[in-house]
Amino acid sequence: MKALPPNLLEELAAAVGPDWVISDPDRLLVYESDAQTAHNVAPQAVVLPSDTDQASQVARVLHRHQIPLVPRGAGTGLSGGALATRGGVVVGTSRMNKILEVDPSNRRAVVQSGVLNTDLSDATAPHGLHYAPDPSSQAACTIGGNVAENSGGPHCLKYGVTSRYITGLRVVLPDGTTVWLGGQGREAPSFDLVGLFVGSEGCFGLATEVEVALTPLPEAVETLLAIFETLEDAGRAVTSIVSAGLLPAALEIVDRNTIKAVEASIFAAGYPTDAGAALVVEFDGVEAGLAEEAEKAEEFCKAAGAREVRRAESAEERLALWKGRKKAFGTMGRLAPDLLVQDATVPRTRLPEVLASIAEIADRYQLQVANVFHAGDGNLHPNIVFDRRDAEETRRVEAASKEIMGVCVDAGGTITGEHGVGADKQKYMHLVFSPGELEVLRRVKGVFDPDGRCNPGKVVPEDEAPSEAGPNERTEAKS
Amino acid sequence: MTGSLRSALASMVSEGTLIPQEERGRWTGPGWSPELPSAVVAPTREDELAGILGKASEEGWRVLPAGFGSWIRGGGPREVDLVLSTRRMTRILEYEPADLTFTAEAGISLGSLHDITSPHGQWLPLDPPGGSKGSLGATVVLGAAGPLRHHYGTPRDHVLGLTLVAGDGRVLRWGGRVVKNVAGFDLTRLTVGSWGALGIVTSVSARLFPIPESDVTMVFCASEVAELLPAARSMALSPLPLAAVELVDSLALEEHGVPEAALLVRLLGSTPQVEEMASRITNDLQDSGGRTLKLQGDRSRALFQKLEGWEDGAGLVARLSMLPSELGTLLEEAEGLRPLATGWSDPGATMSLSAQVGTGVLRLKISDLPGTAERLDPWIIAFRDLRGRLEEKGGSLVLHSGPSVLMEEVGPWGAPGLERHLLEGLKAEFDPAGILARGRFGLE
Ligand SMILES: Cc1cc2nc3c(=O)[nH]c(=O)nc-3n(C[C@H](O)[C@H](O)[C@H](O)COP(=O)(O)OP(=O)(O)OC[C@H]3O[C@@H](n4cnc5c(N)ncnc54)[C@H](O)[C@@H]3O)c2cc1C
Repeated sequence: MKALPPNLLEELAAAVGPDWVISDPDRLLVYESDAQTAHNVAPQAVVLPSDTDQASQVARVLHRHQIPLVPRGAGTGLSGGALATRGGVVVGTSRMNKILEVDPSNRRAVVQSGVLNTDLSDATAPHGLHYAPDPSSQAACTIGGNVAENSGGPHCLKYGVTSRYITGLRVVLPDGTTVWLGGQGREAPSFDLVGLFVGSEGCFGLATEVEVALTPLPEAVETLLAIFETLEDAGRAVTSIVSAGLLPAALEIVDRNTIKAVEASIFAAGYPTDAGAALVVEFDGVEAGLAEEAEKAEEFCKAAGAREVRRAESAEERLALWKGRKKAFGTMGRLAPDLLVQDATVPRTRLPEVLASIAEIADRYQLQVANVFHAGDGNLHPNIVFDRRDAEETRRVEAASKEIMGVCVDAGGTITGEHGVGADKQKYMHLVFSPGELEVLRRVKGVFDPDGRCNPGKVVPEDEAPSEAGPNERTEAKS
Repeated sequence: MTGSLRSALASMVSEGTLIPQEERGRWTGPGWSPELPSAVVAPTREDELAGILGKASEEGWRVLPAGFGSWIRGGGPREVDLVLSTRRMTRILEYEPADLTFTAEAGISLGSLHDITSPHGQWLPLDPPGGSKGSLGATVVLGAAGPLRHHYGTPRDHVLGLTLVAGDGRVLRWGGRVVKNVAGFDLTRLTVGSWGALGIVTSVSARLFPIPESDVTMVFCASEVAELLPAARSMALSPLPLAAVELVDSLALEEHGVPEAALLVRLLGSTPQVEEMASRITNDLQDSGGRTLKLQGDRSRALFQKLEGWEDGAGLVARLSMLPSELGTLLEEAEGLRPLATGWSDPGATMSLSAQVGTGVLRLKISDLPGTAERLDPWIIAFRDLRGRLEEKGGSLVLHSGPSVLMEEVGPWGAPGLERHLLEGLKAEFDPAGILARGRFGLE
């Protein structure tokens, strides 16, 4: 990684104001990782534009000097996506946090990409509307990050993931050109560039403004929590609920290890610590008939062996039932210093056997896995707790992760359902793509980013060996 | 070229793939050059299809992808040496009802697919123009959706993965059969709605939904569509999960021979839910003026099946779109064209419209328009002006089909903006020889 050109920082400061260019190494440490702390690489500088114009000027400056541009939202990503692993400048969206338009008569909103997911839903709630995709990190993550990762959330089972709700994007391309893709009320004159941009993990450009579709808030919600002796029983309950044609809004499972972590924390949710698994089932929509659906689901849970089913009678009770699920990631820190949040998807019917294989792999490598998952979607998070200071244990974690990915792919699934490839999973991309397909992915990136400067070294593994580690890189993200 | 193209193909394809020459007439459109394609092929295997495309790219044969051929005029393709149909690729490759997903070859019709999934209480909730007769592949590639889009979305929301044979014969598999998948860039979404300009889709994996227990359509009638505008807007803003809200200017219900304007609100769900919604919207719309009908079960289904055939036989189909709140503007713009239609010939051509109230898309069809250039001049001017006005307000006009002069002069789509170089770059990556669906996007 070469040093930044001498006048670059001044040029960036001319674009955004001197306060919004960060180059002090101590302050850069904040940007050295995302929520997947296995990767640490501080960028060479950080710049924080306040709007599309400034972002475009920043991109032009970086283009002129051929410096990598790495988009970053809130840094809650779980695949090392927002890290300058090949050096360069992080362009953060934290100042682009304005809601530009809420248009209830068309159920849409236009926001700057740094707006937080919950801030958008809070702003639209007075109109009886919300932004449906609800990643568990929604209080912290940005809409731009959600777009880049095509994020999901517990209620995406019924509502669908981010891509369904993005109708238009204003994008600053790596050379500084600004384009509008899509936009409601306009049938694209050609290919679905919005659909292609969603999930591009910052590799195609910086989204500065996002037009989203809003959804009416459901008038009624029914939530139940079922406690099972084993994870398999919980899995069977899910299968019978779905097979019966019920369409829950959410079907979420936490396993024994997760329950223990939650219950030992300050977020204790009252889940029995001797249980094998807990299943949260939620229905929402028109009040008529909703209680009957919840009753049916309750019967299926009991038939699958639930030892107890709790049903929320109030909003507070509902939050309490969800608590153990929502706080799951946060509390796993109690189990060990480090947590590898894994993410993969399998066809729902394959969940039982895949979970059994994961347990077997964990045993074999003497690791502790805590499962939290979007069961209705077959989206697993087999999280591995470990201590990174223990090099030997870390190697076992790597090996076990690789096997887990293999099991999921062999079952007809894929290597990531919502957290993205980033810097973390390039090594698994060949499990799901042929060399020819990987080459197409590279070239599609090249259409947006001919110089290969936009979030370089992410998503698609490079042909050639990864470049040498940079000066302020502590551990190189392997690819 | 006909002779050489045909003999080159004959030597490489298996028995039955080359469609008899005398059937080519079915596989052509107005103003095509040459008038008839030199050959029509319908392979049964992906590798054969890929071989044909590879050869076509080498030789510079211009290829139009097709399913059953009912939509090949759509988007105004013009230069076609070879029509490549998926209609003999009809296998179900995978169907696991408990997963609510399936994978099938592109040539299966939506109707056959429904016959396979409905015994399990499952369906693919898509009701595009042409309905169950259309092929799965064409529906996906055109991103085609009908009234159910209001609640269920379009193919872009249902497709989980697909196989794309690129213009030069590369076989590329994108996505998979799981509901959530973010490995790599979303080339599935890029392919859905690409109108055959990137390659030929040979198989599709998609998500299914439980068939709702109850199906009811509330019909609110009036003598003019404009009278139904307030009711339509209030349905667009209803917080209830309505399955479809469609506004039509001339609905001929069997019970009353006379066509009337009508607002159709389709309700799908559990019986208590549907009954509750029916009574609430009837209450909301009691002042809408005209007659109200409640169609249950088969009658509700039949009405929407009939709407699927709405475009059949039309001489011109255009889609006007704006933000849903501008429905009134769309209706006025469409009405502005009516004098042109009625004054057209003797007897006058008929114009009708059908609007998706929740998405702001208004379809307009004109029964028939003679193809002579001078006579079409007023139409060319009218559509160009209309496109200009809509685009100025952030909307768009798409000419789906129509007389070739009109399609050529007005262009099926509006011009792309600064993103044009992205579209061209993508086209060049997937179809380097520029042989596919020429004329459709103006990207060759
Ligand atoms: C406790 C916890 C729970 C989580 N739960 C979920 C969950 O339920 N579902 C889920 O899907 N994810 C979840 N995540 C992951 C993460 O929150 C999401 O991926 C989120 O969308 C990232 O948003 P961000 O703003 O933090 O993006 P960042 O981490 O800052 O960036 C992520 C990627 O997006 C790119 N990017 C960011 N902004 C832009 C932009 N404006 N334009 C272009 N590219 C951009 C970056 O380059 C990077 O590649 C969770 C994370 C945590 C820590």
